[in-house]
Parts: sequence; C-alpha cells; structure tokens
Amino acid sequence: MDKFLELLSQMNPFELVKVISWGVAGAISFYFSVGNARVWTSISIGFFLIFLSQAYGINPWTHYQKLTAYHYIVGAAAIMTITHGFLEYYVFCRTFEMPGNKLIVYLTALGILAASGALLIVNPTPSPNTIRNIKMVENAIWVFLCIVNIELIRKIYSTIRDSDISKGFIAFGIVFVCIFLWRGADLYLQIYQWDQDWQDIITLMTEESSDIEEYMGRVEFSREVIRYAGVLSGVSVGGAFTYMYKLLK
Amino acid sequence: MLLLPKGNPLFENMAVSKLKLPDIIAKLRNGSFTGYASFVFQTSTAVLVFEAGRLFSALVEDENSMRESGFQALSSLAESMVTTGSGALNVYTLSKDLTMCFYALLEGEPLCKDQNLTLIDINAIHEKIKIDKMNGCLRIFTDEHTAIVFYKEGNPLGFFHDGDREIETSPTETQKIAGMPGAKIDLFSTKNASELAEANLLEFINVQEIWDACVALHKSVINITDTESQELAKIIVSQQLAELEEMVKSIVVDSVGRIGRGIVDKEISDNGGNSCLVDADRAEKFMKGIERTAKLLVSGTNSKVMMERLSSALTGVDSEF
Repeated sequence: MDKFLELLSQMNPFELVKVISWGVAGAISFYFSVGNARVWTSISIGFFLIFLSQAYGINPWTHYQKLTAYHYIVGAAAIMTITHGFLEYYVFCRTFEMPGNKLIVYLTALGILAASGALLIVNPTPSPNTIRNIKMVENAIWVFLCIVNIELIRKIYSTIRDSDISKGFIAFGIVFVCIFLWRGADLYLQIYQWDQDWQDIITLMTEESSDIEEYMGRVEFSREVIRYAGVLSGVSVGGAFTYMYKLLK
Repeated sequence: MLLLPKGNPLFENMAVSKLKLPDIIAKLRNGSFTGYASFVFQTSTAVLVFEAGRLFSALVEDENSMRESGFQALSSLAESMVTTGSGALNVYTLSKDLTMCFYALLEGEPLCKDQNLTLIDINAIHEKIKIDKMNGCLRIFTDEHTAIVFYKEGNPLGFFHDGDREIETSPTETQKIAGMPGAKIDLFSTKNASELAEANLLEFINVQEIWDACVALHKSVINITDTESQELAKIIVSQQLAELEEMVKSIVVDSVGRIGRGIVDKEISDNGGNSCLVDADRAEKFMKGIERTAKLLVSGTNSKVMMERLSSALTGVDSEF
C-alpha cells in the first residue's frame, strides 16, 4: 500500500487525473454493462478494458516488463471490443437481431485477456524497444478503429436519429474524437521517434541521435494534446455512459 | 303481367322450391291434363299450357313484360325454380276450347295490335271474326283495365276481366272498357283444336336435360360464389389486418422513431405475419419482442407508455376477426 501511495505521489498530475477519470469511466461502463441489454455489453466491457490498460500508471509492478506489455495489449483488445460492440449495435439497428448473451461476451473478453497473457508468458521478456513497438501498434489500432467507430456512430445516429438515445451516440462520437486526438498525437510522436520511450531508449541503450530539438514546438504541442485529450477522453466516456444511462432510464 | 282466368283449380299456391320441373310435367303429361300450370315468382311468371297431356305452349314473362317461349321459356322456368328458392305453382283445368283460346292469347298470331278503338270499326271486326269462324281472342284494354273475349269458330266462349279472374258469360264489363277513352284492341288468332292436337313441345324438348343442366350450373355457381365469398372474406380480413398493422406501426414510431416501422416488420415476420396481431399467444410474443427491442432505443418511461398503448390497441381485437 505504501508503495502504491508512493507511486501516486510520484505521478504527473495529468497522468493521475487521467487514470482516475478512466477509473470512473471504467466503473460506470462496467455498471452499465451489468444493468443493461446485451447490445451494450461489448461496448461497456471495451471501455472498462481501457481503464485496465491505463492503470499501468498506478500499477506497482510495472517494472515487470511483461506486465507493462500486457497493459498495452489489453488496450488494443479494448478498442477492438468496443468496435465490435458498435458494429453489433449498427447491425442491430439494421436487422433488430441481437444474438448471443452477456455471459459469452464476458467469457470471450476474459479469454482474450488470458490468451494475451499466455502469449507474453510463452515469449521472451520484451525489451523496452519491443514494449515501445507494442505500444505503437496499440496506438495505430486505436487511431484506425477510432475512425471506424466515428463512421459507425454516424451511421447508427442517422438510423435512430429520432429515438430517445440518439443524442447519446453524439456523446460517444465526441468520446472518439477525443481518443483519436489523444492516440493520434501519441502515434505521431512514436512514428517520428519523438516519444519519451524512444528518447530513453537511445539515451540509455544506443548511440543514435534524435532530431527532436529541431521540432520541439510540434512535439510540445503533441504532448499537450496527449495530456488534455487523454483526460478529456476519460471524462467524456464517463459522461457519455452517464448520459446514456439517463436517456435509457 | 300475365292475367289469366282461373279454371278449375287442381293445386294452388304450392311451394315451387321443393318441386322438380320434369316431375311436374311428367305428372301432367301422364294424367292427360288439359289446362294450364302457372309458376309465379317474384320477378317473373311462367305458364305451361297442356291439352290432353301435350305441352303446346310454354311462356315466361318477366317484370319488364319481356317474354320468352318454347325452349327458352322452359329453360328460364327451370332456372327460376332452381335458383330462386321461392315461387308458387297453380294448376287449373280448362275446357279444350278455352285452352285453345289461351294458346291464342299467349302465342297466337296478332292480326291487330294496339289499335285505337276510335279509329277502327269494332263491329266490322266482330263481323270478320264471325265470318272467318276465327279461333282466338280479342283483348280490349286501356292503361288501367283489360278485358279478353275468347272466340271459338267465330262465337264468343266467354269474357275475362283483370279484376275478377273468372271467365264470365256477361259482356257488360267488356263493353264498359271498350267505351272508355283511349281504349285499344289486340286481336290474336290461333289454329283450330285439331291442328293444335299435333303440337307437343315435349316431343322435341328434353325437359330432364334442361333441368339437369340448370341444377349443375346452379351448383357450380354456388361453388364459385362460395369461393368468391371466401376470397372476399380473405381480402377484407387482410385489409383489416393491414390497417391494424399500420396502427401498431404508428404507435411504435411515435415512441421509438421511424426505425419503429422496421422493428414492427421484423417482429411480425418472426411471428408468422400480421395475423399474429389478432392471435392472443402470438400477439404476446410480438409485444415482448417489440418491448425487448424498444428498450435498447428509448427510455423506460417511453417504453412503458408505448407498451400500454399497444396493449390497449390489440386488446379484444381477436374477437373482431
């Protein structure tokens, strides 16, 4: 517990707020998945998984590199689960069919997490470079699937425009715009090797140089976007689920 | 309208619906009947004139005074008997001479038609009837009254007036009608009794075949009518179901939005068509399906209001179908 509190006190305030906001969002979304229809399960579970992926900041065991890598893999699984959920919702809007049940969704999510864990266990301990690669792949998946989700939400909204919950989907659209900015900015830094992880790697492990000093303006701007959009994403997810809950009440 | 004098009644007001035309004719033929049988229906009257069991005249007159005779008359009569399910049969015996005069009235050759009495010499006509020893009848009529004088070989056999339906011997009433303004005459002649003795419609008309054909046709018409009725009933039910479906859709659309139409379509399809709306068990499944889907799109309050409206719309509907 002492170690955990120490970790919290060392955290960047923005990171702390972001983790807390994702914690709240995760709790709300999980509660939403339990108390609502099957069609919301994948979406809710997905958002809850984001919290798990973001919780590495407060995880006292992140010095275990496999555990750090696991957070990022869970992040990728989260957005894929969310996208699957919105796709299900869109199919539901067109066919009014909703096969399967909640338990299967929960078990499948657990199965994916277990399989991801197994993948890390059977493989060598990831190097910082490998962890960074996993993180970059996660960001790439997030950016791509954010665009897919925004389009799905647009289509869902146009289908159920005059129903009670249509405005709730606008809220989810805002969520994905925030996430797109957050993850997109992070990916941008990674692609140009201006991210902190790369800077640490080249400082400690290689003799490579970086051109980050030449582009400090855009790097700082991207970092600000990551900070604010990350917090806003967590807050907006909690808000969107709360709003949706109110609309469905 | 055929106004005929009564003879000696054999049967009167016998219900036609249970009788068969071939049986009636066979009975009159086998009994060497002389006289006439009249079949009175709501819209037509048929007269069959017999002499010693021979059918020598068949006539049908409808409400518009349109006449048919011979084969057509027998066909019409058979059709009326088969189809109307009502009507009365009267059978009167007549003397051979009066029967012949009946024939003249019904199917005789018109020598004089719609002649205004003021324009012709009635005495000259009487003279001609007498000189020619004519068999036939003279009809004197106004717009409201008719009198018929039957002749045999130029001599009057009797007088008939549309008021009393009996053959009379006194010419008084006939003379009164002849004296009325606008009175007209028709003069019909016929063959003599010996020539008529050779005529018999039954020799070349098979009444049984006519009857069988009418019965068969009627049965097929009834079958067609039944089928058409069933089809019509189906169409009406289908229209009512479509209206009910539309009402249900409007209720769901009010609560869920335009997507509600699709939801109703899907649930109707899943429950075997829109007849599920009037089947208690299937309607319940339909309602549950609508509620389950609507809960994903609208608030609990709206969903509850919608289900109450749906429930009241579908309650008791099954008894109307």
